[in-house]
Amino acid sequence: MKSPAFSYYQAKDLADAINVKKTDDDAVILAGGQSLLPTLNMRLSNPSVLIDIGNISELKEIKVDDSNLIMGAMCSHSQIMNNKEVNEKLPILNKILSQVAHPAVRNKGTHGGSIAYGDPAAELPAFAVLVNAEIILSGSDGERIVSAKEFYKGLFETAINSDEILTSVKYPINRNGMKLFFDEVTRRHGDYAMAGLVGSIKQNNKINEEINLVFFGTGDRPNEAPKTCEYLLKNEYNYSDIKNTLKNDIDFASDISSSSDMKAHLSAILVGRMMKELN
Amino acid sequence: MSNLNKTTISMIINNENYDDITVETRQHLGDFLRDLGFKGTHLGCEQGACGACNVLVDGESVRSCLMLAVQANGKKITTVEGLNSSEMEIVKDCFVKNNAMQCGFCSSGMLMTTYEIVKSNRKYSREEIREMISGNYCRCTGYQAIVDAVEDSLNKINVGV
Amino acid sequence: MDDLNQNPKLGAADRPNSYIGRSVPRERAKKLLEGKGKYVDDILLPRMAHLSYVRSPFAHAKIKSINIENAKKYPGVLNVFTIDDIEKVCTPWQGVLGHLGEMRSPTQYPLAKDIVRWQGEPVAVVVANKRAVAEDASELVEIDYEDLDAQLDMETAMDKSTKVIHDDLENNLFWTRTVNQGNVSEAFKQSHIVEEVTLDFARHTGVTLETRAIVADWDSSEEKMTVYHNGQAPHMMQSIIAKHLNLSEGLVRIISCDVGGSFGIKVHVYPDEMVTVAVSKLLKRPVKFVADRLESYSTDIHSRCHKILGKIGVDDKGKILAFEIDDLSGIGPFSVYPRTSAIETNQVLNLSAASYVVPNYKAKGTVVFQNKTPMCQYRAVGHPIAVAITEALVDKAANALDMDRYEFRKINLIPDNSYPTKTPSGVPLEDLSHEACIEKLKKMMNISELEKYKKESLANGKYKGFSIINMVEVTNPSPAFYGVGGAPISSQDGASIRLEGSGAVHISTSITEQGQGTEAVMQQIAADQLGVKIDTVRVTHGDTDATPYGGGTWASRGAGIGGEAVLKASRKLKENILNIAAVIMQSEVNNLDVQNDQVIRKDGGEVISLKDLAQIVYYRGHELPPGTNAELIATASFSIEGIPFVFTNSAMGCLVDVDVDTGLTKIEKFWAVEDCGTQINPKLVEEQIRGGVVQGIGGALYEECIYDEMGNLTNGNMADYLVPMAYEMPDIIVDHVTTNSGRSILGAKGAGEAGTGGAPGAIMNAINDALIPLNTQVTSQPITPEKVLKALGKI
Repeated sequence: MKSPAFSYYQAKDLADAINVKKTDDDAVILAGGQSLLPTLNMRLSNPSVLIDIGNISELKEIKVDDSNLIMGAMCSHSQIMNNKEVNEKLPILNKILSQVAHPAVRNKGTHGGSIAYGDPAAELPAFAVLVNAEIILSGSDGERIVSAKEFYKGLFETAINSDEILTSVKYPINRNGMKLFFDEVTRRHGDYAMAGLVGSIKQNNKINEEINLVFFGTGDRPNEAPKTCEYLLKNEYNYSDIKNTLKNDIDFASDISSSSDMKAHLSAILVGRMMKELN
Repeated sequence: MSNLNKTTISMIINNENYDDITVETRQHLGDFLRDLGFKGTHLGCEQGACGACNVLVDGESVRSCLMLAVQANGKKITTVEGLNSSEMEIVKDCFVKNNAMQCGFCSSGMLMTTYEIVKSNRKYSREEIREMISGNYCRCTGYQAIVDAVEDSLNKINVGV
Repeated sequence: MDDLNQNPKLGAADRPNSYIGRSVPRERAKKLLEGKGKYVDDILLPRMAHLSYVRSPFAHAKIKSINIENAKKYPGVLNVFTIDDIEKVCTPWQGVLGHLGEMRSPTQYPLAKDIVRWQGEPVAVVVANKRAVAEDASELVEIDYEDLDAQLDMETAMDKSTKVIHDDLENNLFWTRTVNQGNVSEAFKQSHIVEEVTLDFARHTGVTLETRAIVADWDSSEEKMTVYHNGQAPHMMQSIIAKHLNLSEGLVRIISCDVGGSFGIKVHVYPDEMVTVAVSKLLKRPVKFVADRLESYSTDIHSRCHKILGKIGVDDKGKILAFEIDDLSGIGPFSVYPRTSAIETNQVLNLSAASYVVPNYKAKGTVVFQNKTPMCQYRAVGHPIAVAITEALVDKAANALDMDRYEFRKINLIPDNSYPTKTPSGVPLEDLSHEACIEKLKKMMNISELEKYKKESLANGKYKGFSIINMVEVTNPSPAFYGVGGAPISSQDGASIRLEGSGAVHISTSITEQGQGTEAVMQQIAADQLGVKIDTVRVTHGDTDATPYGGGTWASRGAGIGGEAVLKASRKLKENILNIAAVIMQSEVNNLDVQNDQVIRKDGGEVISLKDLAQIVYYRGHELPPGTNAELIATASFSIEGIPFVFTNSAMGCLVDVDVDTGLTKIEKFWAVEDCGTQINPKLVEEQIRGGVVQGIGGALYEECIYDEMGNLTNGNMADYLVPMAYEMPDIIVDHVTTNSGRSILGAKGAGEAGTGGAPGAIMNAINDALIPLNTQVTSQPITPEKVLKALGKI
């Protein structure tokens, strides 16, 4: 199938892109295009204009300081995987990205695109929520920061206003011994997960002080599980209890890959794997 | 702003300049290349799943169905017709020797992924080769011959030494 | 002439030009690899227009009205057609054959007429200067539908309350057949144990990487229709297009260039392809239709979709006494033209228990209509169902008797020295080797080591299982397959071979190439038999104007039937060459032979190159005595006579790990021993087996066309319909036993179906072996992680 007709605008800089975006409600930002183009090629979306932000060089930068890693929206997954500093400061990103699709898609797919698209089955939004990354948006009124926990509003719904563009994502690093976990269950390598988990544990003298869990592929957005985290601080891992608690935390939603029961089950299994790995 | 559904682009394809070509902005790079006569780029799904349409853009493999022709403006494209470095000639010989293709429809995309493997200049286990090519559909071979061919190629090219 | 001592012994690898039996690299492979293949979508013709089909969004609905006016006005659109226009140039058809009892399938029109019966059925066609424009305008075709109840579930198809899809039929039954050999009910009574199982198999489809594509080019000056088609049976298409478009058959030319995979998907008549030809005739210009991937899923034939109940009775020594199956299959709203949609079920009935001595056998097959995509023959037709039900029951019986699964098979397999014989269903069998194959397989697998590995793994909480299965494979069909029933499908294939003035050899064959290596195999046979170097041999195929008449490539018939025709033609040509050379060289024919492109004297001395010989014949014929038979071209044909099919047999096994937390199955190893008779190119045979096994793994673990309760195909795209990818696939170890077919000189049987036919049963049995300690089993394919966890009671 061929895409419906649209016009194309190559933004010179951020202000230029925002300017076009705010005048046209049907304009869509073209980042890496790895999710957008399939929807166009299947005629599932019909934008008036694609605003290509691919030539805005400031969006392609990776900045690292002592406490943060700032990923420009247009950094490709491959670029991040090949960045030495990212691999040193936040090695789990490499592990996560190696499960995102396949090499040719990772060469073109962008960090900002994945965060902004907000696919509930995608890995990166869940990771952003886990570490409560700061999502930096630029609009006609300037820049604002939304915490990842506040960013995802529903199925493919985010806090981005129609005149705004996601410009970068800021991840905290050096988090006082916080240990990170990532795992997912897919039927084939690189597919969207039937269920996936990013989690973290902070320990003091081998006692768990803080546990965070964010699931993907389970509901309409990255799913936090506060009740389960609380349970795990007080109790040993127990499959049935965790599955029940998770069901209280998350409204598991079936999709083409698996049923809600399956997702709840796999989520409980993943929590078990995490507690085993990080404890 | 521009409200045109057509635009004029230039790019280098297989080391030749293609200048001032007018394209529909909706046309993806795969169709654009095929229209120019680079028929070795095959379209298997146009949704980014099958990998048959992979080409190199500035030396990196991309799905040509998931990139607009206009996005390739000013870039350097390599299609299978231009994949003829000495390393890739070795790769092709190894593919032939191992019968690592039957119908040939997936082959150009498979070669682009193999290019990425060779480019990284390190050794790969069979499992890692399988992981790298797992974004390329092949319905004929069952993949083993392709894994054999890539493994053979890496040995012959002497990567990572 | 077969006895002439000039004819080289097959498989004698030490003589010059012995190509049969050698893994010669395919010459075409390099071209395909470099993107130089020529596929239908690569064809560009002057004034060529592009088609887009408007397809039914409903599984079952009445068409109240169609408004094409807005679409027609869209810039770039040449025309828009509905059935009212198309039926003036293309007649409808019926997917029935006469040789398998009554088939009830109504008339099918090339575009939907009044009623749509599956989601994806073509309703209108837009012709435009570009595909994208045709698609734009397709959105402007307004169709008013009145939704009708959809009949989706094959199990309720025959209920009184179920909607009947075709008004002129009283129910949704397409076809039924029963087989009854011996006295099954009596034998079950006498059995020491009786085991039963019900298996189901989801619908799946072929997913050829190149989608269906056709370019039709009507030349009104010659009244000739040239059709570029990525099909498997050019002469069948020639006959059918001529018939339904009322054209002279000789003036329909079908050209099949490179084909990007077929697997049976591309051997059927599709409404949109017939309409494409009709549009070319209506508009008097070339038109192209290339199915997009979404269209492929909803319009390429689907296959499988079976629910089968099986029952086995054995005595206390483990000897099988009785075997019974009852199979139900749903085929969509029409039986597919012209091969019909009865064949898969027919094969299930023929092939169940076919590797074993079973004195009492009963089988029933029922095929019903559904409002889903039409179903028809896809690679290994019926085999996966027959093998899985047979081998599941055999394992169950062996386990119930606490007998080793290998030993149980050994005492029940048809002995290698008992041919000719018949399957339990009564189909003739000859030249098979079950015992030799399973023996070899057992050694390859090292079963005692596997048992040890299983035990050790279990102690560590890992569930491993392995399987051994046996099967027969239908290949090289005779006229009994289709032709006898009235289909224009040749069971014979032809080859014409000539020596050219340059000394080159040219073959034209009616067998087509879809990647299996047809060209290479034909080159090998001809070079081997003629005594020439392989690179002097060229092959033409896939062109009804340029090749002998024949069936094409399907049912693993290319090498065995088409190859035999090449062998026979090569021998005739060689005889002619030697006779001419005898005159030129003034020698006895028996003292001459051809080696390395020249005629040699067996006792040494002067030689003549084939080039010189050809140039004398063609350019300086006056140098030959008058009346010399100087024909440097020979033609031969071959078809299987006396038996319905040349069966192949194999034994397969696999080792799996079942993750009882996630339900994921990992195939750790897969082994196959195949007996396809003479292997012309062992590498190509092995790659057929491996590719087939992986498609079988697809059916066993991944592939499934999922419909919702409204009859919408919900996973009809490449992201959601899962096929095997490289990472999850095992290395597949292949070995052979060689029992030549006595039906031909070449002795080759087919090898394309075995993997796909055998792997699903092998995998299911291995998983169930792994699940024994957990006291459960899986019975439904694809065996998804979810089904495994359900069987384990975890979800």
